Amino acid sequence: MDSLGRRKFLTGAVLGTTAATVVGASTMGSFAPEAAAGQRRPLDVEAGAHDPNFIEGRITGLRKGMLMVTSSDRSMHRIHLTGATSVWKLRPTSSDAAKVGDGLYARGVRMPDGTLAADAVWLNIVNLQVHITSIGRNVMHLDHHGDRIVGHVVAGTTAAVYNSTPAVSDLSLLQVGKHAQVIGAWRPDTNEVDLATVYAAA
Amino acid sequence: MIEWFAGAQQLVLAGVLVWAGTVKFRATAPEAARRSALRKLVGERRVVTAYRAVGTAELTLGALLLAPPMLVIESYAAVALFTGMLGYLVYAKRKAPESGCGCLGDKQTPIRGRAFARTAVLLAAALATLGAAWWPAALADRPLATVAVLVAEAALVVALSPELDHRWLLPLRRWRVRVRHPLATGPTVVPLESSVQRLQKSDAYRSVAGLLRSDLLDWWEEGEWRLLTYAATTSDGQVTAVFAVPLRDHGPADVRVALVPDPEPAPA
Repeated sequence: MDSLGRRKFLTGAVLGTTAATVVGASTMGSFAPEAAAGQRRPLDVEAGAHDPNFIEGRITGLRKGMLMVTSSDRSMHRIHLTGATSVWKLRPTSSDAAKVGDGLYARGVRMPDGTLAADAVWLNIVNLQVHITSIGRNVMHLDHHGDRIVGHVVAGTTAAVYNSTPAVSDLSLLQVGKHAQVIGAWRPDTNEVDLATVYAAA
Repeated sequence: MIEWFAGAQQLVLAGVLVWAGTVKFRATAPEAARRSALRKLVGERRVVTAYRAVGTAELTLGALLLAPPMLVIESYAAVALFTGMLGYLVYAKRKAPESGCGCLGDKQTPIRGRAFARTAVLLAAALATLGAAWWPAALADRPLATVAVLVAEAALVVALSPELDHRWLLPLRRWRVRVRHPLATGPTVVPLESSVQRLQKSDAYRSVAGLLRSDLLDWWEEGEWRLLTYAATTSDGQVTAVFAVPLRDHGPADVRVALVPDPEPAPA
């Protein structure tokens, strides 16, 4: 099934338009919190211990369905990507978006051969506490502990969260000189970031 | 021309030195001293004393430049001070690049090109005073030109002082954004983040949160709905959790979920 057909199928499954044809689709019955609590997998890593199911680093090589990654402690890892791996690069995207030089965080399951079968990969994601030093057309200049960062506004993607209310695309309440928290995608080896979400007071 | 220009430089230097010296005796000075690169140079224990000693030297030289008579030794002292300052900046840039210089304000800003340019301007001004007459002569000779040079140089020093940006540059930018916000022109759409937030607060999401393995896999829109998928694992194997979140007005109870078996097992 191609991705468009799959989307149609899934849409039908959740909205009930093609429910009769979906074999095995289970619309959840109980929404009680106790039901959710019972499903939680126990944490299998001690506090402060090395988590074998997590990798951070930069991509040094790409093979079909596999990322070669060097971590900041210079250890090298191989990460498998599958159709069920979520890939984030400014927005949810596909594994084709991964490029050599990208920084990443990956979470998944460590296989017996030492590779990580990734459940989720975040490429170039950054989380910064900044001050907005100036605002221009489609750009914000940010001060991060004295370092200057250029934040690019991406039309249709960049969202703002004001005072913890739901995210909106309206960025016109952002003010120069104010503090903000920024989630974005770093442009490797630059001081530039594409902005995903800006959290600010308004 | 050189005579009155040199006279104006004495005033510029005196003004900057008195200002720099005063900063080093404010109540916030010990804190500023500890954040400056001076701490790396003289050590934590002596930093406040050294900072105040520099301040005293600046105040003394500033007062000497203002007071009669104008001795050539004052010019040499100013040249030496600003040469030393340049050396200090080079040291700070190499050894403590994230520290401030602690020069003209207690705002901590890392040393960049502007601090070097400011010191170079002041060094050039100090060199220009060599052999000049006392400054009132310049003021009497060419009052307008002297005042114009004073104002222009003061503006240049302020513009080259990152410690003072919050006094003029930020208010200016704030005013410009208030008059016309450059980002107010974008299209109004419901951002994906908004749907994800609503999803995560919903009972539907919480009921299956323990089964989800991935972050957001894919998303698309269908009429008034936004569909979001996640990879999940149940006792029956791998499934896709597909959520439908209304695009606009709704309560959290409107979010729907279905778990759909994957067509084929994903390759390991």
